[in-house]
Amino acid sequence: MPRKDPVTGKLKWYKSEGAVAVYSALISILIGMAVGAVIVIIVGLSKSNISSSGIVEGIKLVFLGVFSTGRDSAGQLVFGFNGVNMGNMLFRAVPLIMTGLSVAIAFKTGLFNIGAAGQYLMGTMGTLSVGLWLGWTGCPKAIAWLCAFLVGVLLGALWGAIPGIFKAFLNINEVITCIMTNWIAANLVTWWFDAHEMFKNSAEGGKVGYIIPLKNVGVVTPKLLMDKLFAGSQANGGFWIAVLIAIAMWIMMTKTTFGYELRACGANRHAAKYAGINDKKNIILSMAIAGALAAAGASLYFLSGNTEFYWSTYQKLPAEGFNGIPVALLAANHPIGVIFSGIFMSMLNISGIQLKYLTAYNEYIADIIIAVIVYLSAFSMLIKMMLSKRIKHDHGNVNAEPAVSAAPADDAEAPAEIVKKETKKGGQK
Amino acid sequence: MSEYVIEMNHIRKEFPGIVANDDITLQLRKGEIHALLGENGAGKSTLMSVLFGLYQPEAGEIKKDGKVVKINNPNDATALGIGMVHQHFKLIDVFTVLDNIILGAETTGALGFLKKKEAREKVLALSEKYGLKVDVDAKVEDITVGMQQRVEILKMLYRDNEILIFDEPTAVLTPQEIDELMEIMKGFAKEGKSILFITHKLNEIMAVSDRVTVLRKGKYVGTVNTKETNKQELSNMMVGRPVQLELKKKPAKPGETILKVEGLTVPSKIHKNNAVNNVSFDVRAGEILCIAGIDGNGQTELIFGLTGLEKATAGKVTLCGKDISKASIKQRALAGMSHIPEDRHKHGLVLSYTLEQNLVLQKYKEPRFQNHGFIKFDEVREYAEQLIEDFDVRSGQGPITVTRSMSGGNQQKAIIAREIDRDEPLLIAVQPTRGLDVGAIEHIHNQIVAERDKGHAVLLVSLELEEVMGLSDRILVIYEGEIVGEVDPKKTTPEELGLYMSGAKRQGKEGN
Repeated sequence: MPRKDPVTGKLKWYKSEGAVAVYSALISILIGMAVGAVIVIIVGLSKSNISSSGIVEGIKLVFLGVFSTGRDSAGQLVFGFNGVNMGNMLFRAVPLIMTGLSVAIAFKTGLFNIGAAGQYLMGTMGTLSVGLWLGWTGCPKAIAWLCAFLVGVLLGALWGAIPGIFKAFLNINEVITCIMTNWIAANLVTWWFDAHEMFKNSAEGGKVGYIIPLKNVGVVTPKLLMDKLFAGSQANGGFWIAVLIAIAMWIMMTKTTFGYELRACGANRHAAKYAGINDKKNIILSMAIAGALAAAGASLYFLSGNTEFYWSTYQKLPAEGFNGIPVALLAANHPIGVIFSGIFMSMLNISGIQLKYLTAYNEYIADIIIAVIVYLSAFSMLIKMMLSKRIKHDHGNVNAEPAVSAAPADDAEAPAEIVKKETKKGGQK
Repeated sequence: MSEYVIEMNHIRKEFPGIVANDDITLQLRKGEIHALLGENGAGKSTLMSVLFGLYQPEAGEIKKDGKVVKINNPNDATALGIGMVHQHFKLIDVFTVLDNIILGAETTGALGFLKKKEAREKVLALSEKYGLKVDVDAKVEDITVGMQQRVEILKMLYRDNEILIFDEPTAVLTPQEIDELMEIMKGFAKEGKSILFITHKLNEIMAVSDRVTVLRKGKYVGTVNTKETNKQELSNMMVGRPVQLELKKKPAKPGETILKVEGLTVPSKIHKNNAVNNVSFDVRAGEILCIAGIDGNGQTELIFGLTGLEKATAGKVTLCGKDISKASIKQRALAGMSHIPEDRHKHGLVLSYTLEQNLVLQKYKEPRFQNHGFIKFDEVREYAEQLIEDFDVRSGQGPITVTRSMSGGNQQKAIIAREIDRDEPLLIAVQPTRGLDVGAIEHIHNQIVAERDKGHAVLLVSLELEEVMGLSDRILVIYEGEIVGEVDPKKTTPEELGLYMSGAKRQGKEGN
């Protein structure tokens, strides 16, 4: 069998690289949730209006908030299937999945896209402006939807391409340019909506600083069964679109020559260049794709129709942009994994809302838990390294004859060891 | 008093999944030059690291003058008088020679001030006594590699080391410098110092050593007296099978010109002058043309200019009758150029990719391997398995091995398999056997000769004099970015080549 090596044999599936990635993500999630529970206890103990049963309720909601169905007549928390919560979870997961994909694809090609926030804002601007404008002109709603979506995505792609161009031609670190383009986008969007009064929502009394929601002009994403599955929630077909895009990204990265090129450039730009791959083009393209994905998250979010955009963004970048980083990290940059980590982050969000409505806690507890998990998702790399080391170690001892591959590795490492220890010695002297 | 100054008895050192040293015994007599011979991965470095206190052995003992000693760290080794010249020098570039020598062993006065004058006198005396010519006030970055090595040797002498370890000391030297070093080593031995000489170059062992200990795959093969052995026997001991040392090749039958280079000039990234200056030559079908020279004389930039990795500022390059002076890397490859790069990790491989992915690094877009942009994984697998078999590329998991985990020799074999299989009229091979052992070198040399015999043109860049003399049909010597001589390997000597390589001799313009 070509796929199995007779000497070493293949790793069992539960010891494979993918499985290790899943374990490490689950471990960091569990630690994050446990820390969240500790915070719930500490806050509960320090506040006089929360009893010990209140603390228990708080912990329950942190873990199972999405299954909460409110309180029964006796005042006890009841858990079960909650279509509204579930649907809203999926709905809120859409932008997280898309920005997570954006960061993950860039990571896979060796780039750190910290500019998802700016790309998300550009997508928001493009989609809302084109959607509203075409909605008013009375063009067919389907075409208006498509144009709004595509213009948003295109603007995001252009915005992502800018750091890519700087990286490719001037070798300027994309992190720096991404941070700058984020704030340029924040100010640009504010200026755009400030200069175009027509997009502002003054019709609905009392609303200041919001853009007219797209449902007012009827340019909205079809529900595609979501209303049947999760009646009463905001969920719509955007979720299916996000899932499809994630699958498409996975296929693109792993099955196509294009993905092969992109990953080669990311893993070793010099070798890619040596092989005749246009490294500059690929760096720009992967940043453009990352930008398009982040912007698509914004487009899908606002094309749901109900969501409203607060146009004065010049002092604040959208959290979705940065939450894409933990989503990607938790998924170990795997496009399919991003779907699940995006849903998970959104679930925490729902838990926070449940905490706020059903207990004396406020929703910021959920934000703290998210923050802890964000930190731990960085650790998930460390946990992954530790786990795969253990597994490799076991593996090495189980098989008697890995000497062919192990011997030279040792030789290569030995001088490095010497250098390391020498430096240490020098430092002590 | 024991017969041996250092004894390493039955040393065993394990790493996870591998025994690097398995029951190895090494006995060093006082005043002898003892060579330690073995292929890459044979356990030479590990054994020396054990002696130097960097690793603790799982079993075995080390004796100094017959007494068992425990060497826990390099400081213990220094205290026992053991010194080492590393393959890659451990010098501080911006310090002077004197500062480098006394670093870590400074003598200071009452208030902690350096007593540089005393140190200086001691260094000068040592330098005089052993003929180690150095300029004590020059900065290390300004002196030649040969002098840097003399600084390393002076460092050991300054510390009054009696046991001197030389780790592959000749890799960076010219033939003349190698001869000098050999004389210096013999002088030390006469003084009563004991020398451990790690190498895989058989000529040097025959020239300088008294005894040889051979290791193979972590095991002790044997210790022989140099006078009673020969190169063939040593290499058979080292590899474990009869090795053909002299490359057998038929005379070259040069055909039409494949590559024509006229006035090529490539700027340097380090200094203001051109790294390659107005270089012209031809490579013809069915011949191996070798560019010889000391490292850093423009070989790298010359190849970058030819392959398109770097932009040439002037000159014309014609490949198979096509002007490729301005062509992209891909166009040059398509015009008939395959390239075994100098740095296999930087350019040759995507280390995080699997072996099969690396084997199609230039071919993934060919219709055989893709359909409307979708990779045909079965075809790639089949092709990779074929190449792995044909070129004997060994790895843990075959085509799906991540190349990072493969040994250097097998990584190189993979690159050579990929480039030779492209079957282009011109093969550029830059240091194709660097860091490889005798068995792998034999294999790769045969592949290159086979390419030539197929009627392809081969442009070889090598720093190894033996390789230059043995493999090439024609030699051009490059010095400071210019071709300073063309010689026939059958008519020249290593000494003459060395004169060209060091810039001491130069042919007239007609040589260009």
